Amino acid sequence: MQDYLYDGTFEGLLTCVYHHYYTEKASGIFPSDEYQRNMINRFCQVETDPEKAGRVYAAIENRISKYDLRRVYKAFKSDVENKEMKILDYLVLGFRVGGRISRMHAHETVIPIQDAERHVSKDIDKYLGLVRFSECANGVMYAVVEPETDVLEFIAEHFSDRFRNEPFILHDTVRGKAVIAHCGRWYISSFTEKDVPAEGSDDKEFRKLWRTYFNQIAIKERINPKLQSSIMPKKYWKHLTEMQPDV
Amino acid sequence: MKNVMEKLKILSDSAKFDVSCSTSGVARRNNGKIGNAADFGICHTWSADGRCISLLKVLFTNKCVYDCEYCINRRSSDVERASFEPEELAKLTIEFYRRNYIEGLFLSSAVDVSPDHTAEKIWKCLRMLRKEYGFAGYIHAKMIPGTSPELIHAIGLEADRVSVNIEMPSSESLSLLAPQKKPKEIFSHMRQITNTLIERKSLKGPGTMFKGQNVNEPANYLDPAGSSIPEGPKVSEDPEKYEHQIVATAEQGKAASGNQLTKRKKRRKEVFAPAGQTTQMIVGAAGDTDYKIMKTSEALYRSFKMKRVYFSAYVPVVQSSKLPDPFTAPPLRREHRLYQADWLLRFYGFGTEELFDDKHPDLDLEVDPKISWALRNMHMFPVETNKASMDMLLRVPGIGTVSAMRILRQRRLASISFDDLKKMGVVTKRARFFITCRGRYYGEKTFTSEFVRGKLTEADQGTQMSMFDTAKLPLIGAAEKKTGPVISGAAIGTAGGRRFINAGLSV
Repeated sequence: MQDYLYDGTFEGLLTCVYHHYYTEKASGIFPSDEYQRNMINRFCQVETDPEKAGRVYAAIENRISKYDLRRVYKAFKSDVENKEMKILDYLVLGFRVGGRISRMHAHETVIPIQDAERHVSKDIDKYLGLVRFSECANGVMYAVVEPETDVLEFIAEHFSDRFRNEPFILHDTVRGKAVIAHCGRWYISSFTEKDVPAEGSDDKEFRKLWRTYFNQIAIKERINPKLQSSIMPKKYWKHLTEMQPDV
Repeated sequence: MKNVMEKLKILSDSAKFDVSCSTSGVARRNNGKIGNAADFGICHTWSADGRCISLLKVLFTNKCVYDCEYCINRRSSDVERASFEPEELAKLTIEFYRRNYIEGLFLSSAVDVSPDHTAEKIWKCLRMLRKEYGFAGYIHAKMIPGTSPELIHAIGLEADRVSVNIEMPSSESLSLLAPQKKPKEIFSHMRQITNTLIERKSLKGPGTMFKGQNVNEPANYLDPAGSSIPEGPKVSEDPEKYEHQIVATAEQGKAASGNQLTKRKKRRKEVFAPAGQTTQMIVGAAGDTDYKIMKTSEALYRSFKMKRVYFSAYVPVVQSSKLPDPFTAPPLRREHRLYQADWLLRFYGFGTEELFDDKHPDLDLEVDPKISWALRNMHMFPVETNKASMDMLLRVPGIGTVSAMRILRQRRLASISFDDLKKMGVVTKRARFFITCRGRYYGEKTFTSEFVRGKLTEADQGTQMSMFDTAKLPLIGAAEKKTGPVISGAAIGTAGGRRFINAGLSV
């Protein structure tokens, strides 16, 4: 038994899974920059190997199911503690029972992955609606998000299709990266505050119109802030145009 | 001349009582310049009253020739009036859309000059959005009763979802409160829309009500003869023709419709209201019972195959001898129960008759309609979770569609224990009184409807009570306290007991 350290990528994790089967059982899997050495466990830095990762990837797809491959990938993008070991346990069980695993709703190994997946899916759903773009001076649309889970790549295609004729940048400030999209194509690149384009002049007017609309549409006799914040928790409010005061 | 800001203020304020905000039911990749639509619908934000906002919901104009009692924009009402220009509204929609504020446009209108006059303006605006701006996002268009069939058809070709508001569940209350709106007109529009959808084999039907059935069969075609107004002409496949007619004048269009099918060009398949049609009813303005409301909803689902019937708790905005006092609070609790009953119809296989009995023409405000049904039918319970059919599982309080599916999938692999149920998302707090698990009952010693009812309301209040001023409320709700302003359910409100005073208004 030993701890495996990997580079934080999904391929890296799959390489660890490979070594768990073919080299030595894993007592823990950690991203190398978060690992704290200790006296008890030996550890080993795993070098990401596309071929090994590819074999595990294909094995999950063929011997468990495509659905579970997607599920595990989503769980990997969550912020659940110790997700690497939870995923490993899920895969170990999956290789034993096959595609049935996603129907075992009450199994203790399945529940954490099911929950993590749901958390990510929920965030994806929310962020499809809660991203707010503003028009920059150079005509590029720019939006900031601070999601708990790493949702960028799941929502990129939606926005890229929707705003096909408009270049836009969707910036995740927590992870320092952004979706850069234009003409229906997109990629994810590292991105910092320095790269943010200057604000445009028309935008303020529309933000004001939007806030006006937002306030008008609420029925005064039914005001219910508790309901509002239970459906849209305050963690999402930070970058919402309608939640900022009029300037 | 008002500026856009003022118009937006006035015309969104007037539109806020239209409930529908759903953007679901149509999936479309960007086939224009900007926009797409997601099948599951996307909410963009939630307003201070907790309702979701996904569409820019505005009236085209609030100048109205009608004088409906309940409406703030009635002719005799003294409110500020405004109208959008098609260009103006199209631009505003696009600017909001590209900032991802909204999922699309919800366009309704008061009746300015005549229904056709207003509908034509609505159509122009939608047409401009679709053709000039290349907008491929979601559009919900409200149809105005009395519009000509040609215009309805033309609007349906631009919109994703269309709706005609029925307003009241019975023709008596409609003629009392909205004398200028004719039930026959309303139904003839609904018929036309459903028939067009059947012709195009794109009728989908509500929820899982018609699961496994083909609703597009000719047998479902609605007989236009039931209406005093002649039905629209056979549907043309050539929209250019229609445009021509509408410009020419709507009346001539009716006569000229005979030879439309002869000239048929090859073109991309046009779609008519792919997300179907919906309607809306006001709750608590007239004396209709819940039974009447649900009966009408069910009829609308069964005959017109509507996607949704929305309920809107009446908020007193105008003073009238025919309406509740302006100080009565909106019957939010009642509206909530009606929606629950509506879900039971669409997704749980219930019929309206089952939800009511002779003594109670209104839904129980204290417990939800499913519990209420179960308590009246205790002889059918408890059911064994590991054996019960899907239909029966769906009827157990505390088990929803998702958990019922999970139970079915799971028990093929292994029998289910009571602890498993909790992990699968079953609300065991409620379900435990109505099920057994591996033969064991997890409720309490007594199995009578009064006892279980007491336990269920107790559990409900225990958790919710702390939010309110307890002194005003009845203590633990025993079965006889039917009229007490009992409060539970996060979806209802935080404003305390006052708002429920008129909850049983129509009794």
